Amino acid sequence: MRQTALNTVYEMAQKDSRIVFIGSDLGSGTLEKMKAEFPLRFYMEGISEQYLIGMAAGLAKEGYIPYLNTISTFFTRRAFEQIAIDLALHNLPVRILASGGGMVYAPLGPTHTSIEDFSLMQSIPGIKIFSPADSVEMKNLLLETVEDPQPLYIRFGKGGEPIVTDADSSSVYTPKVFGDLASELLICTTGVILQEALKAREILNAQGIPLEIWHFPYLGGTSDPVVLNRYKDYKCILVAEEHIPIGGLFTNLLHLFNKNKLDSRSLHQVSLPFKYSHNYGNQADHLAFNGLDAAGISSRLSEILRH
Amino acid sequence: MNSGNHFLDETGISLRLSILDALREGGRGHLGPAFSILDILRVLYGEVLVHDPIEPTSKIRDRFILSKGHGCLALYAVLAHHGYFPREVLSTFCKFDSPLGGHPESATTSGVEFSTGSLGHGLSVGVGLALAARIRNETWRTYVLLGDGEVNEGSIWEAALHAAKHNLGALCVIVDYNKMQASGNSENVLDMSPMVEKWKAFGFEVHEIDGHNLIQIKEALSINKTVGAPRLIVAHTTKGKGIPSIENSSEWHHKAKIKSADVDLLVSELISQ
Repeated sequence: MRQTALNTVYEMAQKDSRIVFIGSDLGSGTLEKMKAEFPLRFYMEGISEQYLIGMAAGLAKEGYIPYLNTISTFFTRRAFEQIAIDLALHNLPVRILASGGGMVYAPLGPTHTSIEDFSLMQSIPGIKIFSPADSVEMKNLLLETVEDPQPLYIRFGKGGEPIVTDADSSSVYTPKVFGDLASELLICTTGVILQEALKAREILNAQGIPLEIWHFPYLGGTSDPVVLNRYKDYKCILVAEEHIPIGGLFTNLLHLFNKNKLDSRSLHQVSLPFKYSHNYGNQADHLAFNGLDAAGISSRLSEILRH
Repeated sequence: MNSGNHFLDETGISLRLSILDALREGGRGHLGPAFSILDILRVLYGEVLVHDPIEPTSKIRDRFILSKGHGCLALYAVLAHHGYFPREVLSTFCKFDSPLGGHPESATTSGVEFSTGSLGHGLSVGVGLALAARIRNETWRTYVLLGDGEVNEGSIWEAALHAAKHNLGALCVIVDYNKMQASGNSENVLDMSPMVEKWKAFGFEVHEIDGHNLIQIKEALSINKTVGAPRLIVAHTTKGKGIPSIENSSEWHHKAKIKSADVDLLVSELISQ
């Protein structure tokens, strides 16, 4: 997913002189072609995330569209104020390409796992938050959002995920609908958890249980007209997100239900816990441990149905 | 604004009176920091910057960021003096629907390049602006004014390292070196000396001036270069400069409540010199 994103930035830079790439001490070989072809629009800066955001703001203020890349938490935690003031307050079109969303960096420990990034970013007025499910959606997202005037936060998955989105599907601002339209069960999800949700649907379908899935590559898409009038049709809506319980997709739906006087008793959640993990292993271990893998999601839905 | 070299000439007094008017009407403000940087700003806008109050976002303008946003009363007075907005607007300072807040905002105030207030942001943004000029091969220049307390912030030094790395000769940084910050003398809070040597070590071409000497200010700010080391002006200043009773007083760094009668006393002291 990251490689696709960087390649796409390079492709866009070839056609659009406003595109600038800024990295923070990323590994050697990162976008070497872009560096060679457009040396004035390629910056590999030091380990200095506060500066990176401000510098990108300065470039964006002058009409450039900077794409920044480093590890998610280094932006969202360390440079939070710069994101709020330099980018959001000034409404500048900087794109934060956040590597290692969720538990991708589980083996590296809690300094690197990005479990509250949605919450942090969603608390800032004026930023759009995206979490694509695979590299095809990643590319579509970058191409479609290039003219978006606001700052964007884009969470990367680990990479190498199976392609589950359609190359010429609908806008990334709009929820993507998968599954069985006659279902009373719905999973709302974002990012790579779509992969697990789709596998969970296979498990439930094998048991004769239909299931619909709505994937929100754009976290602000919960009030999209495509889905807004349909929440009420479901007996059970399970929100599955690789994030702490608050401040993410579930929180967005609670607000939406409250605002639209919908019955929130249909809402359930499976998420990471509200604590920093001291376990390592890998992302899959943590998804399974927290019930966010296909088995966990399907059994949670079965359990809800039994009650 | 060319009137010899005494900072308390007719313009210097008039600008200070504008600041005191705003302070009176707002009932609060950072007076000491404003008087510390006022003479730098009057020379910058009067004799150095390419700028146009009729077209404040002109592409060829020089960019100026007041990174120590709490000095905004000085910026407002100078912008009003140049016609960015009527002088009467100063009397709305800090009121609910005023364009002039306690820190400067580009969204509300004509002539404010970038919103500042939380310290340590302006230099990074200035590096981005200077890089943009370089990419497009344009000749406008970028100026950033920092407080000497502000340079406590680590983000300033991140930006400084990168400004030097990129040889941003078209970037000019000014440090308002009044040796005081909110809680007292800087040497007792966090001593940033030796200021000149620090910036030299970070790759800057450093000039040292009296920040209230109009000729020295003009000479230092007018050096025109586009490549090579970025420039850093250490401007030795006095907090509250112009009214002896508030000079070098941390009490006058910021006042959240100021009575009109107190402002009357300051006005009397200013004009009686």
